[in-house]
Amino acid sequence: MRIAVLLSLGLHPASGRARRAELDAKALELALRLAETVPDAELHAVHAGDPDAGALRDYLGMGLDRLHVLDVAQGADPVPALNRHLNEIRPDLVLTGMRAEAGEGSGMVPYLVAEALEASLVADVAGISDLADEATVIQALPRGRRRQVRLRLPAVLPFNAAAPEPRAPAFARARRGIIERHRAESVPDDFLEACENTLWRARPKRMGLPAGATAAERMKAMTEARAGEGQVMVHPTPDEAAAALYDYLVEHRFLDLQAREPTANGQK
Amino acid sequence: MRKRRDPRAEQAARLLPGGPRPRYGLKVVATETDRPRRNPRAERKAATVSESPRLRIAWKGGVAPQAGTLDAPASRGAPKVRIIAEPAFHVLVIAGAGEIDRQMIGAARLIADAGGGAVCIASSTEAEDWADAGADRLMPLSGLEVGTYDPEAHAAAVLAAIASLKPAHVLFPETPGGGDIARRVAARLGERLFAGVEDIRDGRAIRRANGGRDAMSVAVPRLLSIAAGAFARHEGAPHEARRIEGPGFEPVRKGIMQAKAMPVDPDSIALAEADFLLSGGNGVSDWDAFAELAVLLGATRGGSRVVCDQGHLPRDRQVGASGTLVTAGCYFALGISGAPQHLQGIQRVGRVVAVNTDLHAAMIKRADLAIVADAQEVMPALIRLLAQRKDTAE
Repeated sequence: MRIAVLLSLGLHPASGRARRAELDAKALELALRLAETVPDAELHAVHAGDPDAGALRDYLGMGLDRLHVLDVAQGADPVPALNRHLNEIRPDLVLTGMRAEAGEGSGMVPYLVAEALEASLVADVAGISDLADEATVIQALPRGRRRQVRLRLPAVLPFNAAAPEPRAPAFARARRGIIERHRAESVPDDFLEACENTLWRARPKRMGLPAGATAAERMKAMTEARAGEGQVMVHPTPDEAAAALYDYLVEHRFLDLQAREPTANGQK
Repeated sequence: MRKRRDPRAEQAARLLPGGPRPRYGLKVVATETDRPRRNPRAERKAATVSESPRLRIAWKGGVAPQAGTLDAPASRGAPKVRIIAEPAFHVLVIAGAGEIDRQMIGAARLIADAGGGAVCIASSTEAEDWADAGADRLMPLSGLEVGTYDPEAHAAAVLAAIASLKPAHVLFPETPGGGDIARRVAARLGERLFAGVEDIRDGRAIRRANGGRDAMSVAVPRLLSIAAGAFARHEGAPHEARRIEGPGFEPVRKGIMQAKAMPVDPDSIALAEADFLLSGGNGVSDWDAFAELAVLLGATRGGSRVVCDQGHLPRDRQVGASGTLVTAGCYFALGISGAPQHLQGIQRVGRVVAVNTDLHAAMIKRADLAIVADAQEVMPALIRLLAQRKDTAE
């Protein structure tokens, strides 16, 4: 099974220095684990961009032996080069992060690659639970929920922040790893050239105002701590209280005994 | 009507001749100009726009009476529906992500109103009042099973809607589900998606790029996705939300074969993410019963600062200003009186259920359902009831 990992250069959110991209590192972590467990797994890590970027060594330090770098010029579109390269190696699985940290960061690359490879795609992957002729992946949803999705191979799996933490890079492995340069065509990105970039400045926004006749009432609605509906039971018996609580939770659909099966390790 | 007086002419008539300085006599001289006398009360009345709820006077004119004036509802009747019959272009909004739908319509109105366009909402559910939200057209996306995860079919339906309506702009929600559909559609169309737009100003859409450091702006493109909470919802007159024919679409190749929700351990969910929180305070002393109740409810456990200080719960389970600001849909507080710092932590919670012995506790005031009782006595009763209901359910 051929597993391709698409790696990009990240940007540290505080210092702005180049680093390994967190989500791509999580994808690489999963790929390295797959390479150990899946028989005849063949790992192929690809980066499109500057081969001399120092932060690429962090990926090698995680345990990669070889990183294929497509030499795409700064500001050019990396997708055509990636597609051409991946079409040559025909991977069964493409792992990557949901979106890049630096540059445009539109999160389109996995989708464009899936379109070019005619592969299936599931977004926000947090883990892979089974891999054979088809893949079973775990998708992270908002509010900590999870979904299990079975999909056909070849598949592109972009990883979400809920995936397991990547291992720390080792210095010696980072030195030992090989960066293999590939010549690639640089297609200029006309759309990005038409865009205007300035420093981001947070601006105040006028959002929906609370309805109210007078300014004093609106001010009160904006600033006052919210009061509840004010349904109060004073000194009920414990059974009455329990029944009231149960009915309230069921009525507002927070309690559904059939659907919410607690797991075995729920009690610590 | 009396004529207006001329005070200067009256003074000039009282001037006595001779002497080095001007002297005026006391004789009363009546003068008249040819202008009629002013009536300040009538002028004020004519300029008054509204008297209640507050007095508004427009001396310079040109102010429309506001909603809420005394006589306005009687004269206007129902709010006037704005109809755009022949739009110059369409702005298609892909709905289905909850609260952000209305913000997207707000953003779409900004684009449409700048050039005489109409907003068309494509929705697979019909429960919403789209007219009030500001949509001109409603295109039902039929054939999609509600509640199932099938982004490929959803993207195909959106592609069919784009092909049939030929909109100038398509707006997607930048939510986990909506962003997925947006990128599938953009990849299939081979067009650029301007993702996570935060502002639209002077005909340019603005998003954040380069890790949020840069503002990237471009003339409003064809495909864009709207960041949550970035735009205000439409507040003006309702639009007609006329139903138009939804497109039929071809089933696509299926990469995703099966999807099902997985059970998760509620305590593994981060406190800020959890949807249902069971929180204990100083009124709880039996922590085994508390854990058992959490398991039966399927709730994530949390606690006040006091119980985390005492070591009954780990520090990362602390709710409040010095712990976690939670966003749960339901917050079930047992034996928590509600210190101000704790109430700050639950400011964005949907519903609060509280059990506390003190009728005058701040938490009882904040709660939607408040029970003044000892949490230690209510807990076993609730555990019994839940276990019993669970047995009958099975």
